[in-house]
Amino acid sequence: MPVDDNDPNDAFEVRFTEALHQAGSGFEPPRQDLAARGEARGRRRAFRRQAAVLGGVTTVALIGVGGALMLPGGQAVGSHSSSTGASSPSVPPATSAATTSVSGDALVHTLEKLLPKGEFSDEEARGTGDPLPPFAKVVYDDGNGKAAVAVSFSRLRPGGQEARQTTECPDKVFIAFDTCRTTTLDDGSKLMILKGYEYPNSRSGTKLWTAEYVSRTGQHVSVQEWNAAAEKDAPVTRALPPLTAEQLSQLATARQWRTALDAVLVPPAAADPSPARGVPGGSVSSTLVSLLPKGVRVVSKSSADAGFGYAVLDDGKGASLVQVNVQGDQSDVENELFGAGTKTLPNGMKVVTHQRPGEKGGEGVVWWTVDTIRPDGYRVVISAFNSGAQNTAATRSTPALTMQQLETIATNAKWYARH
Amino acid sequence: MRPGRSDEYQEFAAARAGHLYRSACLLTGGDTHLAEDLVQETLGKVYVRWGRVSRADNPAAYAQTVLTRTYLAHQRRHSSRKEHSTASLPDTAGPGPTGDAPLRLTLVEALGRLPAKDRTVVVLRYWEDRSIEQTAVAMNTSSAAVRTRCVRALARLRSLLGDSLVEYARP
Repeated sequence: MPVDDNDPNDAFEVRFTEALHQAGSGFEPPRQDLAARGEARGRRRAFRRQAAVLGGVTTVALIGVGGALMLPGGQAVGSHSSSTGASSPSVPPATSAATTSVSGDALVHTLEKLLPKGEFSDEEARGTGDPLPPFAKVVYDDGNGKAAVAVSFSRLRPGGQEARQTTECPDKVFIAFDTCRTTTLDDGSKLMILKGYEYPNSRSGTKLWTAEYVSRTGQHVSVQEWNAAAEKDAPVTRALPPLTAEQLSQLATARQWRTALDAVLVPPAAADPSPARGVPGGSVSSTLVSLLPKGVRVVSKSSADAGFGYAVLDDGKGASLVQVNVQGDQSDVENELFGAGTKTLPNGMKVVTHQRPGEKGGEGVVWWTVDTIRPDGYRVVISAFNSGAQNTAATRSTPALTMQQLETIATNAKWYARH
Repeated sequence: MRPGRSDEYQEFAAARAGHLYRSACLLTGGDTHLAEDLVQETLGKVYVRWGRVSRADNPAAYAQTVLTRTYLAHQRRHSSRKEHSTASLPDTAGPGPTGDAPLRLTLVEALGRLPAKDRTVVVLRYWEDRSIEQTAVAMNTSSAAVRTRCVRALARLRSLLGDSLVEYARP
């Protein structure tokens, strides 16, 4: 126990430590499958390679915008009728009545049949009877070097956030990739082909190409291929992964997966919380960009999110990060946030401004904020920095927007028109 | 992930999930829903890096650090709400406590009144028994900053809890 000698607080520390252990031990995990849920999340994370999005939204880096992959439009996937039906897309069936479970071996067999001629080894799989998502993975050699190829299956809530994000090309600010393209197929399902890297930031040379297919009823097929025999800790065996974009998309949309997909249960509603109340239109960054003064160039902006967004601006004098948070009822902290220096506008909105040093260690970075709250507690906060990121050195003396401009943006009715 | 590694991971996750959850409950000042989400997120991150994590000296400590950073990142993301004193307890829905209920409420409520980073220091130092240096590493900050936060947090807790700890801490 960390107790400093001669500290008058010692006695308190001892008692506090005891009490803290008692209090902490009193929390019992609410569900038995916490570990399994963590693994399932890890699996999705590994499949999507969007890890950085969740942990590091505010520590953005500047990465240029890349090109787009030309995928033959409207991939024919045949009549994609689903046995789960689409009569009520927002209320998916909770159980898989009359579905046939598919073994891991069968999934491997199907994968090997669907791949072009070659040699297979190191098969690994999990069938649909397991509580965790089914998958099949093989090491495939088309004659030009061994490559890991994996396919996994899950069910997403139709129309839910995850269903949307799975086939949405990621933000280049968060991960590095060469090309990405999302196509809407004839039956309304979506297919994303992403040519990226196993280690998004290290560029070790291990390429990871993925196809994400999500049907209108939320059936999800994820195909991944590497230019190495294993996803991690294995040397690169060839210049590129073996399958072309078109082959990837054919594999992801193959009707042979239908039985397996039908056997995968829809996740419980709680796993996909309804979107939080946020900005009208659902994209903070788009609203932000629409409110910028003329003459300011947008270098990059975050993807659509109803509660948080940023844009990196350049007015010709260097990069400047501007970020906005939009929050629902914040009345409980109103008095604390809007204290001294707060002014109240005729419409009842309170506004307070701050200018302070950046908190994330970027050399010479300043952080300007305009904080606003409406009488109903709806809060819009805009912050601007004199750097393209909070954690990099200042690129200019002040942010690209003045305090007045920030206030004009933050108090615009566009943030809450619908509320 | 190789089958062997997958088993290893599952064993690890099953063994650690409970402790991570309790830590997360303290970190969040009793917000059990957020705690559950943070633990899933942490285990997900550990899963992705399991090849490396499993070779670490202390995978459990590694997971705890991931939890700490995931929590602080969550706080950063919602930082416009600022570190604030909760006027009322966060949502503590869920199964009832198995320990001393009055104690938990008092102490967790007091924790909830600390700024997030101060609370994190307290949890790492007094729940995880980490040294100041280890705490600083986990939080990506300096030892001096940890020391300052720790002193401040203890003083605040002392004023909030006062002698009630004596009353509650002895069964």
